[in-house]
Amino acid sequence: MRRRFTLPALTVAATAAALTVGVAPASAHGYISNPPSRQANCASGAVANCGDIVYEPQSVEAAKGSKQCNGGGSRFAVLNDNSRNWPAASVGQNVTFNWVLTARHSTSTWEYFIGNTLLASFNDGGAQPGATKSHAVNMKGLSGRQTVLARWNVADTAMAFYACVDLNIGGGGTTPPTTPPPTTPPPTTQPPTTPPTTQPPASGTWRAGTAYQPGNVVTYNGRSYTCRQAHTALAGWEPPNVPALWAAN
Amino acid sequence: MITAALAVLLLVSGCGSQPEAGTPSPAFNDTDVMFLQMALAQIAEGDQVAALAEQRATDPRLRTLVTELRTQWRDESATMRRRLLDWGQPAEPDPSAGAHAGHGDVHSLRPADIAELGAAQGRTFDRTAVTMLLGHLGNCGETARMESAGGADPEIRALGSNVAGRRQAQVQTLLKMAAEP
Repeated sequence: MRRRFTLPALTVAATAAALTVGVAPASAHGYISNPPSRQANCASGAVANCGDIVYEPQSVEAAKGSKQCNGGGSRFAVLNDNSRNWPAASVGQNVTFNWVLTARHSTSTWEYFIGNTLLASFNDGGAQPGATKSHAVNMKGLSGRQTVLARWNVADTAMAFYACVDLNIGGGGTTPPTTPPPTTPPPTTQPPTTPPTTQPPASGTWRAGTAYQPGNVVTYNGRSYTCRQAHTALAGWEPPNVPALWAAN
Repeated sequence: MITAALAVLLLVSGCGSQPEAGTPSPAFNDTDVMFLQMALAQIAEGDQVAALAEQRATDPRLRTLVTELRTQWRDESATMRRRLLDWGQPAEPDPSAGAHAGHGDVHSLRPADIAELGAAQGRTFDRTAVTMLLGHLGNCGETARMESAGGADPEIRALGSNVAGRRQAQVQTLLKMAAEP
């Protein structure tokens, strides 16, 4: 029973030890799952032989300000390797990026780049994100195969989280979501009853091409939605598809 | 620092292996206890998402996955509770130890998250559930790998390994679903 009295102090010590060797959950944070980031493609098995990133796609953390896919840190250099056959998701000019978060750090900004071009920056003003996070980003007329670098800048540390997303961007801004990239292997263990991914016929007041403001209410396929961000609607941005833009009522 | 940390872990496991009063005393350390306590808390949180998804997901692949997950969680949590009871340890971490201050809440699902999921419909529901499960199962996997790397009790280390592999497989399936347009 002597042991029991020593436990609280040892608990703290063991926790510190776990943090030191980098295996505690405190090392986890977030990544982009759709369109899939390089770390997501590694973790899903779409790209093989990625190393440790397969266990922790959420851990691509490095000092702020880098333009490298691994943030210029000491780990996960595979993410910088453009010779890997990274699948490129087919998208239009307007892309919604969905994040998976395993820790909700107070956030200064979320930034999206192609090369040196800043596509978009979202200022959270130090707020904590919710359990999910998504951003609608315009590709500024860039097209073809491109790599978007996303940076999640934490408000209260010098660190950021990095995610590179390979895209095959259509032009003109009217490209609807297309079929999955051919380099993504289909799920092998699924029953053949997967639901259709095609859009249902539109019904309701929502229309592509309309400029919506926050607070606008539309209906789509029998449901009502409230606009969350000012935007001009495009095919593929139907309210149920883009939770960043529309909240279901 | 790492050497010192390992020394602490060895000290703990050394303590745990001392026979006491003629009864066999298992060799476990604080990582074992922390894993079991944290994993039970994570299962309790995650099962709220999984239960909703089992009832309401429109994608049958998602329903199949959460049904499997909930079955595994019931099995895992029974073992976890039994071992904590065997060891005379509480099922929940001691809040006065302060070990979780500062990072516990940023990793937790909150009532507002469950409410957000509950209010979502159709494809939005599925997407939200997949995203929340990816984040949560990522944390579950990290906790399990902490145990398989630093635990002392052979059975619980093996459980950590097993849990890490199961969560990794589920994350893979969810990532494939999440990557679809």
